[in-house]
Amino acid sequence: MARTNVVIDPITRIEGHLRVTCVVENGKVTDAWNTCTLFRGFEIFMKDRDPRDVWHYTMRICGVCPTPHGWNGVRASEMAMGVDRMDDNTRLIRNMMEASQIAYDHILWFYVLNAFDYVNVPNALKAKPTTPTLKAVQQQLKTFVDSGQLGFLANMYWDNPGYKLPADLDLELTAHYLQSIEMQQLANDAGGVFLGGKYPMIMNYAPGGCTQLPGLEDIITYKQRMETVQGFVDTVVVPDLLAIAPYYIGLAKVGQGVGNFLSWGVLDEKSQDPYDRLFPRGGIYGGKLAVEKVDPDQTKMYTKHSFYPDTLGSGKHPLDVGQEPQEYVDLAPVDGSKLPNAKYDWTQAVRYGDREAPMEVGPLAQMLMAYLAGRPEAVQLVDSTLAAVGAAGHPEILISALGRIVARVLKLKINMDNAQRWADELLANMATGVTAVNSMPEVPDSGEGKGGWDAPRGALCHYVRIKNKKIDSFAAVPASNWNFSPRDDKGVRGPVEEALVGLPVADAAQPLEILRLVHTFDP
Amino acid sequence: MEEMSLFPGVTRRDFLKICGGLAALIGLGQAGAADVAEALTAIAKRPNVIWSDFQECLGCSVNLLQSRTPEVATLILQQISLNYHEAVMAAAGNEAEQNFSDTVSGGDFFWVVEGAIATKVPGAMTVHGETSMDIVRKTYPKAKATIAIGSCACYGNVQAAAPNPTGAKGLTQFIKDDMGIANPTVINIARCPGNAEDMLATLTYVLVNKKVPPLDSVGRPKFLYGALVHDNCERRAHFEQGNYIESFGDEHCADSWCWFKMGCKGPVTYAPCPVTRWNGHQSWCIKAGPCIGCSEPAFWDTMAPFYSPVPNIAAPGIVGISDSTFTAILVGVTAGAIGAHLIGTAVTHRLRGGGPMEPARGTAAEAPATEAPPGGASDGGGE
Repeated sequence: MARTNVVIDPITRIEGHLRVTCVVENGKVTDAWNTCTLFRGFEIFMKDRDPRDVWHYTMRICGVCPTPHGWNGVRASEMAMGVDRMDDNTRLIRNMMEASQIAYDHILWFYVLNAFDYVNVPNALKAKPTTPTLKAVQQQLKTFVDSGQLGFLANMYWDNPGYKLPADLDLELTAHYLQSIEMQQLANDAGGVFLGGKYPMIMNYAPGGCTQLPGLEDIITYKQRMETVQGFVDTVVVPDLLAIAPYYIGLAKVGQGVGNFLSWGVLDEKSQDPYDRLFPRGGIYGGKLAVEKVDPDQTKMYTKHSFYPDTLGSGKHPLDVGQEPQEYVDLAPVDGSKLPNAKYDWTQAVRYGDREAPMEVGPLAQMLMAYLAGRPEAVQLVDSTLAAVGAAGHPEILISALGRIVARVLKLKINMDNAQRWADELLANMATGVTAVNSMPEVPDSGEGKGGWDAPRGALCHYVRIKNKKIDSFAAVPASNWNFSPRDDKGVRGPVEEALVGLPVADAAQPLEILRLVHTFDP
Repeated sequence: MEEMSLFPGVTRRDFLKICGGLAALIGLGQAGAADVAEALTAIAKRPNVIWSDFQECLGCSVNLLQSRTPEVATLILQQISLNYHEAVMAAAGNEAEQNFSDTVSGGDFFWVVEGAIATKVPGAMTVHGETSMDIVRKTYPKAKATIAIGSCACYGNVQAAAPNPTGAKGLTQFIKDDMGIANPTVINIARCPGNAEDMLATLTYVLVNKKVPPLDSVGRPKFLYGALVHDNCERRAHFEQGNYIESFGDEHCADSWCWFKMGCKGPVTYAPCPVTRWNGHQSWCIKAGPCIGCSEPAFWDTMAPFYSPVPNIAAPGIVGISDSTFTAILVGVTAGAIGAHLIGTAVTHRLRGGGPMEPARGTAAEAPATEAPPGGASDGGGE
């Protein structure tokens, strides 16, 4: 029967550089490989540098989510300097920055990075709009298409029957795409710009806390912008999800993946206990909805299928692996005439604990931990969503491609609904004379620290070891390192590779389904 | 409402206001508004733009998405034809590559590059099976103009930090070394991230003047990068008064005192941050913390540690380092002399016939003063 190798390179609308290779047989994916096609060497050039500077480097790992990379970098280095606990103002300012980041990031994902997989923009020209706004957007689109210069919309699979929305909905979502650009800007303004100085690459963290207490006017600006964005989430994003989900309900039955989930947690409550976070820490195995405790030091690295010597990883702790030497092997031809080589990825395979389990990370993991920990908002939102789709009492159906999208939007809503609280608590501290915001720690001769705070895309942890007052070892294990792990030493596929296996693909020449599934992981 | 090809949807009055702002920014003064308006209105077809991403973090693209002048939607729907941008475009894989190839073979395009070129480990950066080196080799000769956005594409940036494991290079350096072109025409929009509003102002300059703007010795438009951050810093008065923040979170943060002692690199960094600011011109780094010098080549090696004060700056009063000398210093000669230029531009105006300087400030104890006597030289070369 028909067997085709499908290579998508570049996977677009992501952060980073990614190739995905699939074997499609009889209309289904039977094997899959993901390849990160970028290597920079952070763990090499950060060695011997000043430990205070760690967070400025780590923000440059991802310009889409520099804020959690900054949190992890600054937390790892200050912990290595003996700061076991943040002062309460620092906790709150960092929460505000993170809430701002989450808001922008998930809105950007839902529209700019994701919508073109489901929304057929040219089809919006067939809509019959009744409102002035939608008429104007349609006219703008018509002028654009009639110009013959399709620019960023050119050459997409717009004739693929996989696009299911009626034209009116295509137009409405296109209008919301344009509106979302302004909304993600307002979300960034709230924390990144007014508290952090600019976005991306914020400036208001420093080892030991933050650089300063924000001014009152900036806190008020944060509150106002986040309130505006909250309104957008409640009246546009959530309704958009509910409007399009019925047309793509088939996605609830594909892309289940490994069924193991990991979150380090994000957004600290006063206790600073990671199991007490708004999105709490935890691990789930084999699709069984029971949460276990997890420890960032149980992260293990493997390199048999990565561009390093086979034995470099061997299950070692991230700080003991590094990125030298490299053993790059030319990628298989982009035409799919050969399948990937034994070594096919710059990413090292990362596995968790004694089970050496591949772990899925991201908003689905974060929402499952919050739901199973009994967080009232998460329970209420998940249960009402399940009831709305006729699956009351079955949260396990969230473990799917559609579930990842739903979880991301529900998490966004919970984030917005709590965004004012961090600012109000900070104002209350300031009103009662609690002004400490940095303990100005000294760099010690030696020390070790780590982060463990989820980025919007999932579990993220940076590790730092200090010797002779310099960085002796640095390691980064970001979300895409988990989700887009290659095979491990035992040949077990990474989470995205596993999720792709079994996926129906109607037309291998237009692999829209593969693109969709990869995007649900927000690479 | 009159139709404007580059700024449709805005009124004539708003349009001229925008043009006036751009004219001032690119050095034409308010009187140049009409020239800007004419140049922008004359474009019938949206210019083709392709945007390549190499060794980067996507931060420059994210900053592009924060642009308010113009708004992003206006930019990509009405002003340019963004035929290739991996983070924004709908198409992927072979179809994306087709968009790139078709535009390049058409030859009528502007090329924006975000990210460094991997040279020692060419496989460290590939797109569609091609290395970043190969993509530059085939694309640069055909582009009408090439803009490097962000310090990665300009100078290699973080991945080029010593020991530069992948041999990361900025575009200009790579083209010189690999393609044997002595003076590549690449406009460097430095900083980390690259500031998209600066890039769009530069494009406006090219459209209005029909030529590349004058560039400094490291390829940056002089109209943007001609002054030190320190020169236009809103906290400059505090520097001159010796009003320094002494520790993060101290009581003077609320008074917006100077970050110099916390490591601010504004005194040795050429960039328009205090003037054009960021994210719709709303804010900039100094509002939140000390500058790390991200517009300068090799700043990870020359400006770090970021929380240590620039060495050898004891007091105002030492002048006389020229622009080109300063650039040489930044590419790695010695940090020791940097202070001279700082003080040169900081207080030259006051030295010319001015009164006696303040006595050496607190930093004198931490870093030895340079040798020139206060007020000894008469000409600050950096102005």
